[in-house]
Amino acid sequence: MSDTRRSEWRDALRLFRERMGGLTEAKKAYLKSDRDTRKAVREALKSGPKTVPELARQLDLPSENVTWYVMALRRYGEVVEAGRAGDYLRYALKESER
Amino acid sequence: MAQIKDQYDGLVIGSGIAGMQAALDLAGQGFQVLLVERQPSMGGVMVGLNKVFPTLDCSSCICTPRMAEVAHHERITLLTYTEVQRVAPLDPGFRVTLLKKPRYVIEEDCIGCSLCELACDVFVPHEFEYGLGARRAIYIPHSNAIPQVAVLDPEHCVFDGNCAKACPKDCIDFAQLPEEYTVEVGAVIVASGLQLTPMDAKGEYGGGKLVNVMNPLAMERIQSSNGPYGHVLRPSDGKIPKSVAYVQCAGSRDASIGVPYCSRVCCMYALKQAVLIKHELHDTDVTIYHMDIRAFGKGYEHFYRRAVAEGVRVVKAKVAKITEAEDRDLILRVELIDEGSRVADIRHDLVVLSQGLIPGWHSGAALPTKEARDGFFEVPELATQPARTTVDGIFVAGVATGPKDIPDSIVEAGAAAMEAAMYLDRTRAGRTAEVSATGA
Repeated sequence: MSDTRRSEWRDALRLFRERMGGLTEAKKAYLKSDRDTRKAVREALKSGPKTVPELARQLDLPSENVTWYVMALRRYGEVVEAGRAGDYLRYALKESER
Repeated sequence: MAQIKDQYDGLVIGSGIAGMQAALDLAGQGFQVLLVERQPSMGGVMVGLNKVFPTLDCSSCICTPRMAEVAHHERITLLTYTEVQRVAPLDPGFRVTLLKKPRYVIEEDCIGCSLCELACDVFVPHEFEYGLGARRAIYIPHSNAIPQVAVLDPEHCVFDGNCAKACPKDCIDFAQLPEEYTVEVGAVIVASGLQLTPMDAKGEYGGGKLVNVMNPLAMERIQSSNGPYGHVLRPSDGKIPKSVAYVQCAGSRDASIGVPYCSRVCCMYALKQAVLIKHELHDTDVTIYHMDIRAFGKGYEHFYRRAVAEGVRVVKAKVAKITEAEDRDLILRVELIDEGSRVADIRHDLVVLSQGLIPGWHSGAALPTKEARDGFFEVPELATQPARTTVDGIFVAGVATGPKDIPDSIVEAGAAAMEAAMYLDRTRAGRTAEVSATGA
């Protein structure tokens, strides 16, 4: 991308941000919670594959949130299925992510 | 984005199966068609389904070829992420005002590479997956989306510019604004489809509150090979369910929630989903609690008998309420009709509410047509002219007039296209320069 084009979209982004009401406290809070949860799930999986209930207990988070994040990270290729434990599947960090 | 002309022979509103078929049937006769879709990609509800009843054909496998045909048709202009603001009668023909919503992406330059999506650091519940899966603040709608073009959601955007930095085609455009277009058209076909009765319509069932009380379209997604879980698992904790319950007439045949009619397809989609759960999870019990089983179409009664033969339990019982037990299991209080109306509390670990169908769009002042008492588009001569609305020149197809299955929607689309063609020949409304299969 040329420097001219880069400064063009930065100007457009600044105006877009103003039009949309900026980075509100609510958005900041959402982003922080989102990033923190992803980080926590990744960290917890570094010690080995886990089921969703095991992760939820370790992270002390509602298990439906943990389900959502595990599936989100799986969708984007960071987490893979790693065997079964009874009626649950285990999830692990993809080798390249460790 | 395609060039929008000033004039079209036909406008089709909605690009689900009925809209696509109507557009193809009209364009196939030589007419120029403008197809308008309010979502960022085509396909309506059908593109997100797993398999269709009673054949168990893969839904997107039969839907996506039509989507591709529409997208590449020389006589169809496809406008996505666009809403119809007003259709004003010109007698004959209509003046149509459209509002194209900004994607913040230059459509004709985007190659659908997803690098913007992967660079975005905000995870958001994905509407296409009914909240069970994730997308980013800028995202390609789904793997089968046409157009396969990104769209930015300003509500979740944190304005960090990561998408623009990552885009190899330099096609993120933060300066985009909504654009209004005015076109003249000859005939209009409304194919605005369906939405489900809201999950929280009946408070006693816990829909929208209890995590393991599922939306049936969400179940379609988790049964799909490109779905959010990869397997049928329950949302609260990813457990493989051992005992699944379907609650029929959950959002229909119920005057107390404002949906007194039967939604026609719920018995069949519940049977279909139940059979597919049994195929994937051989040891899992699936029970359908019903008031009646309505298996009305070709091959449907046979499919019902097959489902029972494959072990799906079909129990005549009215579900009074659903409460949550420990471990997020559900307790269904049911009146077992075939057991002398005995009341029982039955435990399951996953429940699907067979929600009914309500109109996908209430057009209000946007269209001069009338709404029937049930909220769908009124068809004044239902028995003899099922594609005609209360306005000459505006035709209708699919669930826009009332609940129906895919074959009936396709047949109605053909009927609407034929009516539209006859209207165009009769009135010579909105005729474009290069047109007419009849040579007239």
